[in-house]
Amino acid sequence: MRLTDLLVMPVASLGQQKLRTMLTTLGVIFGAFVLAASLSIKEGVQETIDRESRKNDYSRKVTVFPKWDVVGSKPVSEVIVDGTMSPGRRERIRKALEEQERSKDAKRTRLDLSKERLEKLAGLPHVQQVIPIIHDGGLVLLGTRPEGVSLDSGSPEDDAFLKRIIAGRGFLAPDERGVLVSELLAYRLGIVNDFDLQQLIGRPLRLELQGRSSSPGFSVSISRRASGGDREEHIALEQVAAQLPAALDRFDLTEEEVEALRKAIRPGPVVESGVISEDFPVVGVYRRKNEEEFKGNRGSSQADISVVLPYLTAADLYFREPGRREQGIDQAVLLVDEELNVKDVARQVEGLGLDARAAIEFIERERLIYDLIFGGMTCVAGVALLVSALGIANTMLMSVLERQREIGIMKAVGADNRHLQFIFIIEGGLIGLVGAAVGLLLAYCASFPADTWVRSMIMRDIKMELKGSIFVFPPWIGATVFAFTVLVTTLAAYYPSRHAARVDPVTALRHE
Amino acid sequence: MTGSTSTDEACVAIRAVDLIKTYGTKVAPVEALRGVSLEIEAGERIALLGKSGSGKSTLLNLLGGLDHASSGGLHVGGHDLDQLSRRDLARFRSATVGMIFQSFNLIYSRTSIENVELPMVFAGRPPRERRESARAALESVGLADRLNHRPNQMSGGENQRVAVARALVNRPKVVLADEPTGNLDSQTARDVMGLILDHVRRHNATLVLVTHDEELAATCTDRVVRLKDGRLVS
Repeated sequence: MRLTDLLVMPVASLGQQKLRTMLTTLGVIFGAFVLAASLSIKEGVQETIDRESRKNDYSRKVTVFPKWDVVGSKPVSEVIVDGTMSPGRRERIRKALEEQERSKDAKRTRLDLSKERLEKLAGLPHVQQVIPIIHDGGLVLLGTRPEGVSLDSGSPEDDAFLKRIIAGRGFLAPDERGVLVSELLAYRLGIVNDFDLQQLIGRPLRLELQGRSSSPGFSVSISRRASGGDREEHIALEQVAAQLPAALDRFDLTEEEVEALRKAIRPGPVVESGVISEDFPVVGVYRRKNEEEFKGNRGSSQADISVVLPYLTAADLYFREPGRREQGIDQAVLLVDEELNVKDVARQVEGLGLDARAAIEFIERERLIYDLIFGGMTCVAGVALLVSALGIANTMLMSVLERQREIGIMKAVGADNRHLQFIFIIEGGLIGLVGAAVGLLLAYCASFPADTWVRSMIMRDIKMELKGSIFVFPPWIGATVFAFTVLVTTLAAYYPSRHAARVDPVTALRHE
Repeated sequence: MTGSTSTDEACVAIRAVDLIKTYGTKVAPVEALRGVSLEIEAGERIALLGKSGSGKSTLLNLLGGLDHASSGGLHVGGHDLDQLSRRDLARFRSATVGMIFQSFNLIYSRTSIENVELPMVFAGRPPRERRESARAALESVGLADRLNHRPNQMSGGENQRVAVARALVNRPKVVLADEPTGNLDSQTARDVMGLILDHVRRHNATLVLVTHDEELAATCTDRVVRLKDGRLVS
């Protein structure tokens, strides 16, 4: 029998039972549709997670913090827990009391992120870049006009921040000697008109960091919503803080309370402190974040009255002040060469005694969750296809029974068992082929409105605009859907085909 | 010639030796043929006569390779049917014998030309060639204007002529006809028999005709063989 006849005869047979063929194929189409859609969304969501996590190298970053540790705790004598209680409760109370006892004499120490440690971090394998995160307070002077500000460090590659620049430009390099000022600070400094904003570019802005003593003492500030305060206010507050230890007796305090406060502020080793100041040309002015940026973006300054220095310049200024150099910074970000090495770098940082947090762990958890969800969906699709396969097996078996006489005639005129088996198997395969093609096409067409709907939901709920589609259809999805569907339907047709091949022609020819 | 053997092997078209066919279960067996021996020469036309249940159709099915004998030997058209594989048996049914049934046994979803093409499809002949052969076969039985009609669009006589065309299209050495005129009126029956006999004469084919009709048997065949309760009686 010729190959073309092996294909034409099953098509003709399917065509004879149009309604039945259509209903059977619909089941397969549904299965293939669900399979294609679930594979597509799985792939699309994974790609979206990867794409979003690669924004600003989010997935390649390790954030490092100083670490607090308890040292010098003395061994405690055995704690006795009174009363009649269950062994479990007794043990819990004993442990809690023991910890309380131990912490009385314990001393909390902080492993700082000093300049030396930052250099050590820079030397770790796979670390490409160390970005110190500076967030401090200081004063700025434009001409003779002082203003209290918050000082932040920024990166030349921070695209989200660059979008907020309304005059001038962003930084050219992390060690550029230039400053960006917020539009509100500019306003407070007397730059009111839009035209004047342009005039501000290039003008020198003096930045002053007040010395920070590392000795214990009182820190006095005024509680109010807006940050800042002028220079005179700062000086006056420092005076109050300096005079407070001598004035403790004048407060309405018990002797024990006065003694406790004196003990707390007893001076340690003296660290020289002073005012650090430098003139920086203004390179640009930036606006405050809008509502969407507050929700959607990470990592850039949110203070209204602030200046931003390139991170290396900010660190240089910060570490020039002895008190700050002693204390170190509160946060640094390590940029790792590849995502694969992020966990290894985090472990090394922890090995140095510092705290490390990597977004990759969160991203991997997210990936795992989506893998599980869409894996489940794929299983459901598989089950749908298997149910369709049972439908096919049933339909074809019915078809074999109905066509017994026809099968008998075919055998009488020269059909071999193989021919009949092929004909029925190819019928199953054809149903699978058509079902896979239509199911895939439907899934592809449905992906456009579904994508629009999902995007609108994401925009509505988390104010985030996704770049690519949630649904993707790489060639392997098409190949998988076709292969799996055709395989399932062909296997479903196998038993009926064997049945057809075993039909006894004599009995079949008697069949009415 | 019942029970006799010919010394000239080339002249023998069918040789059955002590054929036994038993149906049913071991507990309740039904013996359809009880030791039938028969020799038919090439080009000979014989009629198989007998009552219903005498084993005529069973014998015809064995001769056509549709069924296997329970025991005994059977040679048809130079083939020992016991020795043929399933595939060879299918080829034998397609090329060596042509079977005609009382109830036509056409496929109702196919047109007459497609029905006639069917044996050639399974024989693997190219589409154009088989289409030409099928057309010629239908023209020869007077159905040139019914090529694309389906069985339900034609009369019984026309359907039987399609069945004859299908049986003869591969020019078989042996034609097996199971009451081919049983469902036809006398005029149509004569026409159909005329077509079969014409083929047999022109191609020196062997004809085995199962019938109840004594007159048909007498006029259309060289020899009459009678079956009774699964045995040859004359």
